[in-house]
This record gives sequence, C-alpha cells and structure tokens, in this order.
Amino acid sequence: MQTRRSFLKFGVGAAAIGALAPLSVSANSSDVIWDEEHEVVIVGSGFAGLAAAVEAGKLGAKDIVVFEKLGVYGGNSTLNAGQACFADTDLQRKLGIKDSVDLMVQDQLASGRGYASEILLRHSAELGPYVYQLTKDCGCVYRDHIINTGGTSVTRSHQVVERSGAGFIRPMLKTARSYGVKTKTRHKFEGLITTEDGTVLGIKVRKNYQTDHEDSGTLINVRAEKGVLIATGGFAANVAFRQALDPTLGDEVGHTNARGATGDGLIAMLAEGAMPIHLSFIQSGPWASPDEGGFGYGAGFSLYNFPHSIAIDRNTGERFMNETADRKHRADLEIQRRDKDGKPHPALLIAPKHEAQKDPSMDNVLRYNVAWEFDSIEAIAKHFELPLKPFQKQVDDWNKYVKAGEDPQFGKRMNMGTGIYMTAPFIVQRLWPKVHYCQGGIQINTKAEVIAAKNGKPIPNLYAAGEVSGGVHGVSRLGGCSTPDCMAFGVTAARSMMKA
Amino acid sequence: MKPMTTLLVLALGGFIALSAQARDKRDYHETVYDSGCKTCHDQGLKSFPSDESCLQCHDMTKLADQTKREGHDAKQNPHDSMHYGQEAPCMECHGEHTKKHAICMDCHNFDYPKFN
Ligand SMILES: Cc1cc2nc3c(=O)[nH]c(=O)nc-3n(C[C@H](O)[C@H](O)[C@H](O)COP(=O)(O)OP(=O)(O)OC[C@H]3O[C@@H](n4cnc5c(N)ncnc54)[C@H](O)[C@@H]3O)c2cc1C
Repeated sequence: MQTRRSFLKFGVGAAAIGALAPLSVSANSSDVIWDEEHEVVIVGSGFAGLAAAVEAGKLGAKDIVVFEKLGVYGGNSTLNAGQACFADTDLQRKLGIKDSVDLMVQDQLASGRGYASEILLRHSAELGPYVYQLTKDCGCVYRDHIINTGGTSVTRSHQVVERSGAGFIRPMLKTARSYGVKTKTRHKFEGLITTEDGTVLGIKVRKNYQTDHEDSGTLINVRAEKGVLIATGGFAANVAFRQALDPTLGDEVGHTNARGATGDGLIAMLAEGAMPIHLSFIQSGPWASPDEGGFGYGAGFSLYNFPHSIAIDRNTGERFMNETADRKHRADLEIQRRDKDGKPHPALLIAPKHEAQKDPSMDNVLRYNVAWEFDSIEAIAKHFELPLKPFQKQVDDWNKYVKAGEDPQFGKRMNMGTGIYMTAPFIVQRLWPKVHYCQGGIQINTKAEVIAAKNGKPIPNLYAAGEVSGGVHGVSRLGGCSTPDCMAFGVTAARSMMKA
Repeated sequence: MKPMTTLLVLALGGFIALSAQARDKRDYHETVYDSGCKTCHDQGLKSFPSDESCLQCHDMTKLADQTKREGHDAKQNPHDSMHYGQEAPCMECHGEHTKKHAICMDCHNFDYPKFN
C-alpha cells in the first residue's frame, strides 16, 4: 500500500506539471512562466554548439548553457573523421603546400555548382586560422600529415590524431566546462518562444528526455537573455523528411549520422517563419561501405585509398569514375551500379596492400569484414563474379597511367598516386553511398543571424550555425569543409550574441 | 471472502504491473527486484530512472577497468570510448526491461561477446 500511495501522489504531481506547461507557453511574453533563465542559450553539443560555448566563455559570458537531447554529447561531430580544411596554415607551409583563402573558396564554389554562398564561404575560410588555433588552445592535437579529401586543387585537410571528431569534441567540452558552461544532456529542444512580432525570448525544453520516448520528461520554459543559438545539425536520420526532398534517398540508402540528426531545430525554425534554403541538396558519402552501419571504419579506409586505387563496376570489370572527384559526382555514379533486376550491386574499391597497409584502419576493415584480402586478380574476379578479361586489362591500363602520371580514362589527378602500382595482394572493399550531409537548412548571414522568409531580415535574438544552416556549400560540400564551417559560425554566433 | 478479494486484487495488480514492465529482467538484478522498483526508478515509477541511478551500485571507473581491452581493441572499451569517454550514460546501451543495444554498433561491427 505504501508504494501504491506514493505512486498515486506522484501521478497527481506529474499531471499538474503536465497541465502547466502548455498553458505557460504562449505568444505573449508576459504570460510565460520561466523555469530557467540563462545569458546565452545553445541547443546542440556538436562543433557549432561547443565552438560557440567556448567563444562566449572567452568573451566573458557568465551564464552559458548547452542543451543536448541525447544521453551523449557531440552529435555528428564526435563521429566525424576528424578532418578539417584550413587554408594557409603553418603545417601546410611546413609540408610545402601553397594554399590561400581565395583558392579554398574557389574550390568550394566549383563544388557548389553555382549555388554556394561566396560571402559565407569566405567568412568561414577567413576565420579558419582563428578556429585552427582555438582548437589547439582547447588541447586538440593535429597529425603531421595533411589529407586529400577530393575535389580540391591542393591538399588541405588537417586531421586530429584520433582521426575522429571526438578529438575535437572532448577537449572542447572540457574547455567549455572550464569556463563554467553548463552542459545538459537529455534536454530536448521542442520549440521557440517568441513575442508576437517574432522576437525570440527563449525556448521550450523537454527535461529528462529519453531518446525515442517523445513524451518522457517534463516541459520547461527557458529564457535567453542574449539570444538562442540553434546548432542542432542536419536531418539525415529523418527518412521521411529527406525522402520528401529527394526521392532517391529512401531506405535503400543508409546514413552515417548520429541518432539525433532528425532536423528538430530546422523544423522548429521553419515553423517560426525562417527562410529555408537548398533543402533538397542532400549529400551522400561515396566512400561508405554497405557491410557496416554508419561511417564505420570503411569510410576512412577508402578515403585513404581512393587517390591510388580503382573503383570497379561488377558488371563490366572496369572503372566508372574518377575516384577523387567530388562527392556528388562519385555518389551519383555509384548508386547507378545495379544488377539485372535493378537491385544495388555495389562497386568494388581495389587497393594494393603495399600501400593500403600504411593506413591504420586496414587492420580494422579486415577484422570486421568490411574489406577482404585477395592474392590475385583472378581471385577477386572469381569471388565477386567479375568478367576477368576486361578487369585484368583495366588493371594493366591503370598501371600504365600510374607510370605516365596521367589518367586518360577519367582525368584523375595522379600526383597522389605517383609510383603506387596496382600489384598483388589486394584489399577490396564494397562501395555504396550513404546519406551523409545536409547542405540545405535555414538561411543565415555573416553574423550567424537567422533570416526571416517574409522580409529577408534577421529574426531578433535567433542565431543558427553548423549543419542546420544552409546555403553555404550549395549543391555539394567538399570533404573536411564542414568542421571549419560549423566552428566558424559557432564562434560568430557567440560574438554576435555578446555584442547584441 | 473480503480479505481474500483484496489480496487477489493486490496480487493481480502487482502481476499486471510487473508483467508489463519487468519483462526481460536480468538474473543478476534479482536482489534489486527484491528491494522494490523504486530502488532504480528514482524519478517515479512511470519515469525512466535517472542516469545516476545505476551508479548507486555500479562504479564507472571500475566498469571501465573491467571492460578494458588490450592491443588492437584498446580503443573499443564501451565504458571508456574515444567518442564519449566515461560519459555515456548506462541506458544509452543497456535496458533492464528492453533489449540491449550498444550505441557503438550503430557504426561498428564490434565483437562484444556478452552483448548481442
Ligand atoms: C560520420 C561522419 C563523418 C564526418 N566526417 C567529417 C570530416 O572528417 N570533416 C568534416 O568537415 N565534416 C565531416 N562530417 C560532417 C560534420 O561532422 C557535420 O556536418 C558536423 O559535425 C555538424 O556539426 P553540428 O554542430 O552542426 O551538428 P552535430 O554535431 O550533429 O550536433 C548537433 C547536436 O544537436 C543535437 N540535437 C538535435 N536536435 C536536438 C534537440 N531537439 N534538442 C537538443 N539537441 C538536439 C543532436 O543530438 C546533436 O548532438 C562528418 C559527418 C559524419 C556523420
């Protein structure tokens, strides 16, 4: 009886809280009962959110809060491959790579196919060196090696030693906390609280939210003194939403994102009249393997190998693309590899072991059945039912291209593969694209202010940064270019809020 | 008869509640069940236990030590991972009344022998 009575008591209490919450959320600010108030309110604990938290801390904000809906921090950012493009760094100079902000912007504009925003790209490229230093000050450690992520005219992707965005997120989380930033997991943002003229006053948050239990926890109203930053990432994990925008992206295509990438922040901002931009430009990763979930180990392995390896169509035994072209180009071609019934027939990435073994992830892909070793061309042909003759000829031709330093077949840039011949034994991985990044989102300006659809003007006190913002990269984002973008606009949002 | 009915109602009530919620209970948690649901459900019976609840009995540092892996697998310690350190809350992967699902498996084909 004791238990039952206290259970009843609890039931009444919960009902009372539940009844209060919807009442207190209203368009009229004077009606709102605030449960919490903070100087700077940040939603999402990825690169954008944490860069903003660190910068706001540096700028002297006293009361910063980061809300994260999942039980874990970091979103896509902590799963990320740890690659970040910065132009004209000390490391590039040390390695003899000549680069500039202009060149980086040009490369991204080309990949954006006319839709990218030069102003926003330039803003983030110019902040690159600042962000590079900021991450180092937080304790992030970069490798002594720079990576080629495809579609760039020079090699510029700097990578943290962990080879994962975790190498950014954990030091940044620690630094943010050292500034007194409150970091709260299981707090799900549910919507903006605005005045009738649209000024953002605060947000509704579901406290003690449990992943996938939409009515768990309780709703609270959080007031934001200086503004709200929405840094909730993309929507690759929301199949209904992404398929509505791009019919080719149904269940047949997996995704690489964290569980939280369901577009909550974007959808809430749309509801408040923010400007949607390029929502249908959704990027799939051409380096993904269908033999594991998410990004896994295969992505890093194929990224390392693409410059000196060949991707083979299983029907023809021949190459079908420039293996270092930009992502959209490759993913579009990969998804066209089909069997006679139109079912996915993933292409094969064939890498010579003598080079592949230089990548630390080779052990992992072999161990976890994401790639396999073969002793000969014949063995590969037999195992994957490739037509042997054209396949053999393709490999021989490829080796001639390596020797000549020129690829007449697809015009691949061959300088990264100099002297790397396709000889046995081989490591083979299957390739099938996975939804990876949402170029589209909500429109922002160079102050990270969110733009209203009805008049093109900023919505007061509302900021967005990172993948949730759109229009920066246009049709296709280049590899390694989200990290600097998310962090640059996170930093910018913090600066704007501290000025506002 | 009357006390009998009350008892039956109580017993039945208890049975229904348990059958709905206590399915898949783990044998090694027998003593916790003996001490009552509130032992874990510290935020009320209808709510999920808090992330601290499991830590009343389990110690994260010790768990991390117990699941430590060597050599090649050293980074795959689920209780001290590269992505989340020791901060992944228990219920992200474990469920007392639901199937377990390690968050690592969203992206990796890891071999966790006790965890499928
Ligand atoms: C596997 C993988 C590898 C990648 N590798 C690279 C790379 O090497 N280089 C590169 O430049 N880019 C890479 N990218 C892209 C890049 O990592 C992402 O675009 C970037 O991390 C997005 O950062 P963000 O801060 O905008 O969002 P996220 O890091 O996704 O953070 C958003 C957070 O908001 C939370 N959230 C969502 N909704 C709510 C809500 N309602 N309430 C509260 N919180 C909420 C989410 O749970 C999440 O934790 C990669 C992406 C993936 C998925």
